Amino acid sequence: MKALYSQFKELIPGLKAGAKQIGEAMTLTGFMMDSLEEVVYKGKKDYLMGFEVRQNRGDCFSAIGLAREAAAFYGLKTQAPKAKPIKQGKEKLKIKIESKETVKRVLAVKIDGLENKESPAWLKEYLKFYGLNSINLLVDLSNYVMMLTGYPSHLIDFKKTDGQLSWALNSEFNSITTLFGTTVALSKKEELIIKDGEKIIALAGLVGGKDAAIDMDSDSIIAEVAVYNGAIIRKNSRSLNIVTEAGHRLEKGLDSEGAEYAMNLLVSLILEHAKGKVSSEVFSFYPKKQSSRTIKFEPGMAGDIAGVEIPEKEILKIFKNLNFKAEKIGKNISVKVPSYRLDVAMPEDLAEEVARIYGYDKIPGTQPPKLKVTPKITPKNIILAEKIRDILTSLAFDEILSWPLTPAGLNEQINYRNWNKAVTQNSMNELFPELRQSMAAGLLNQLKEYSKKNVEFIDIFEIGKVFGEKNGKYSENDSLGIMSVSNKKTFNEFKNKTENLLRLIGLDGINYFEPSAKPAIANPASCWRIASGKNQIGIIYKLVPQENSENIYFAEINIAKTVEILSKPSAGSTVELNQKLIPLDANIELDISESIFEYLEEAKKKIGKNRLWSIDVTDAYKTEDKIKYTIRASYQEITDQEAKKIHLEAFNLNPNQQI
Amino acid sequence: MEKKRIYYIIQIAIFIITAFIITEKDSNGMDNNILERMSQELEAAKSPEELQEIWRKYLGKKGELKILLKSIAAMSDAEKSVQSPAIQAAHKKALDLFAQKEKSLNQAEAGKKLLSQAEPLRLQKAKIGHLHPITQTIRMLNQTFTEMGYSIMDGPEIETEEYCFRRLNVPSDHPARDMQDTIYIQEPNILLRTQTSSIEAHVLEDYAPPFKVVCPGRVYRNEKVNKSNHFIFHHYQGIVVMEKTSLKDLFGTIEYLFKKIYGPEVKIRFRNKYYPEVEPGVGPDMQCFNCQGSGCAVCKGVGWIEMGGAGMIHPNVMKMAGLDTKKWKGFAFGLGLDRWVMAKYNITDIRTLLGGNLGYKYYKNESTL
Repeated sequence: MKALYSQFKELIPGLKAGAKQIGEAMTLTGFMMDSLEEVVYKGKKDYLMGFEVRQNRGDCFSAIGLAREAAAFYGLKTQAPKAKPIKQGKEKLKIKIESKETVKRVLAVKIDGLENKESPAWLKEYLKFYGLNSINLLVDLSNYVMMLTGYPSHLIDFKKTDGQLSWALNSEFNSITTLFGTTVALSKKEELIIKDGEKIIALAGLVGGKDAAIDMDSDSIIAEVAVYNGAIIRKNSRSLNIVTEAGHRLEKGLDSEGAEYAMNLLVSLILEHAKGKVSSEVFSFYPKKQSSRTIKFEPGMAGDIAGVEIPEKEILKIFKNLNFKAEKIGKNISVKVPSYRLDVAMPEDLAEEVARIYGYDKIPGTQPPKLKVTPKITPKNIILAEKIRDILTSLAFDEILSWPLTPAGLNEQINYRNWNKAVTQNSMNELFPELRQSMAAGLLNQLKEYSKKNVEFIDIFEIGKVFGEKNGKYSENDSLGIMSVSNKKTFNEFKNKTENLLRLIGLDGINYFEPSAKPAIANPASCWRIASGKNQIGIIYKLVPQENSENIYFAEINIAKTVEILSKPSAGSTVELNQKLIPLDANIELDISESIFEYLEEAKKKIGKNRLWSIDVTDAYKTEDKIKYTIRASYQEITDQEAKKIHLEAFNLNPNQQI
Repeated sequence: MEKKRIYYIIQIAIFIITAFIITEKDSNGMDNNILERMSQELEAAKSPEELQEIWRKYLGKKGELKILLKSIAAMSDAEKSVQSPAIQAAHKKALDLFAQKEKSLNQAEAGKKLLSQAEPLRLQKAKIGHLHPITQTIRMLNQTFTEMGYSIMDGPEIETEEYCFRRLNVPSDHPARDMQDTIYIQEPNILLRTQTSSIEAHVLEDYAPPFKVVCPGRVYRNEKVNKSNHFIFHHYQGIVVMEKTSLKDLFGTIEYLFKKIYGPEVKIRFRNKYYPEVEPGVGPDMQCFNCQGSGCAVCKGVGWIEMGGAGMIHPNVMKMAGLDTKKWKGFAFGLGLDRWVMAKYNITDIRTLLGGNLGYKYYKNESTL
């Protein structure tokens, strides 16, 4: 919201501060000055000051509102332009308010005998500061009053109507052509409109229609100032995609009481500049009068919240400067808040008023606080994710971050879980409507980009979430995705790095099995689920050849599942070695359908964990229906003979076989 | 008789003198000749085999010097006393010469063997891994806060309207909803979280105070993606709930953080700024590092750079989490990370942070230590 420095001076008699000073003061009290421009207004040097006004201060989208704030800081009073009460005529206006729950107040009056014309230079100049083009005198005066008071008004050419106006929710009209000339389609779903007996006159609170727009020939008008339930204005603005200065103010919620001053000022200015005479009574719809709130305030609260003592005398002075009527009642202060301060509803709001006017710059912040020691509650998945990052970077992997939204069709390629897609309904980025079901999505995209840019070493990982839906419930899993690209076949190198990672984070019993569902992007003959013992934790596969490479490997690990497994205690890996290790080989043969991992688990049980140092498959050879394995088992803390005996038993070997 | 004894004495003397002269000449000559030859042959020897041959020839069982050495036993006492020292000295010298040569040859052999086993230094380097700049920044912040006793939290990215808005004092018709354009999964209730304050709502509900928590996380706003705007951001949120705390603690925390990151000379100001989930609300600004507050293009002429939002947790937020506002007070703060990271890593396009153009030099890393 902008305001001229000259306006501050006019509205705050006795104000001596310069524009920059005012800007600095307003910035600290909640209205950041984001522009300061030297301008000329009415032939004199002036400053146009731009302020950020936040959503809770609908009363400050006006020069008067901003002036009140500045005055509060400087301990001065504001003086609004004089607005004579309207001298009513005799005509009764035929106005109906059908949609009573959406309209808080309507004031309307008919003015005849007007001489509309081009606006004077000062008015055109003023509106230009706000980015508003001059239309004609009547419309310009309406905009001027809006900028000054914060209250939009709407002028209707009475002769272009059938004389009957009503405020209603649209159920008749399919469109409206606005006074800007654009035609807006209407859905007939809760659009608040102003209509006469035949046609739509305006989108209430947003924009007038072309049919009853004011032009140079307009000499008989209805002037209305209305306050609405902000929610309906916001809703209509969003659904119809219409953003106007009027809508911007009305959707924030305005004080219904203030409409009267705005109406009086508007009519005064119209009569002053465009002649005319008020021919009707003032129509008033005001079923529920806006009242001022009275809040009980304990003075110590301001100091407690600020962290510094604020004397009661200072508090009372601040309330006075803010036009809050404060009365001491015992230890507390009874504070009557003006009706235009819709944002002040509880004692904490009053405490904020005190603290911000007192000055945040008076609250010291140079020392770090001595806060109480509190329990450590960081979830394990966060700690594990950090550990994973460190291990993978030491294995020469680079971390990437990618979009969790994917193009349509990609999830069908990469998903392997039994769940449905989670799809966005309204994303502006329409080409990426779905949430990823596997970390492969982002890694593949990065691979493509790196390939385009001739990046030589592509070993990448990402920790993030994958998303899905099942039975109406949405879920997301913390996941790790790892991808490597090679110019030679190195799947087992990749597999070993992945296993190294899993072991280094504390998992053991890593084994692999055929998944029931394989992603479409995987080479089905090189795709396995990864498990730690009996717990499935992820998947590993070689991709089918992509545009830029044949040898792409991917693994995905469910971090939450991993945390669950790690929370159970497991055997340590540190051993005091007093004797040499005894490595022995076993050649065995299994049917293709038999799992080597299960076989090894059985062998480990037979051997016993205190005697087994390590067990590994060093070779595998497939025949027609069998697989021959060479297993190397190393024994610890036993003699050669003991080791041989255990070895023969564990692997069912012939005593004469060479081991 | 007397003449015969004198004659024999004179003969023996002559014999002795002659023998001495002959022995001296012959043994020295003979010794030196052998040593010289052996020395020359040692000099010329290039292999252990040649060395062995020399040993056999001179110092072996039938070697010249060995025979000479053995001949001492057959000498008369007179001859021994004259010849033995020279022969023994020559033998010792020969042994020394041999040992020296053997050592030198062994060293040469060992050297050759080492050379054959040696592996050359290959100049090709090994690639190293890298953490994403956003991870590095989050780590740095996490370290600062964990040192102050904070825990780290995350929460769901698919959120409900309840935790993203209502519990944060933003009911459905609140104007503050406009501050964040929402991406819906199932309007109006299921959405992608627009702020990490939703984690705050969960923490307030799930954990009993007192606690101090930071929540780095990803948030989503419905915006078109271009060079300077994205629909995914990274926020860093902090929440403290204690029996006694105030704006002073909040200011102290934020100032401490910025001084740690930017150095002790950094200037911070705190101004009132509205956010629905806090009351009072605070906008912390840092004095523009480019113009020191006088105004420039970097700070858009303001002289200060907005660093996020903060405030005392709104009593409505506390009450909705079931907390007694007479007993518990809290403050919260939130920072946007993306622009910070872009400035630090000289990234000009916000899209780079999430894939595509972010590259890492193969052999260079930056530590956050």
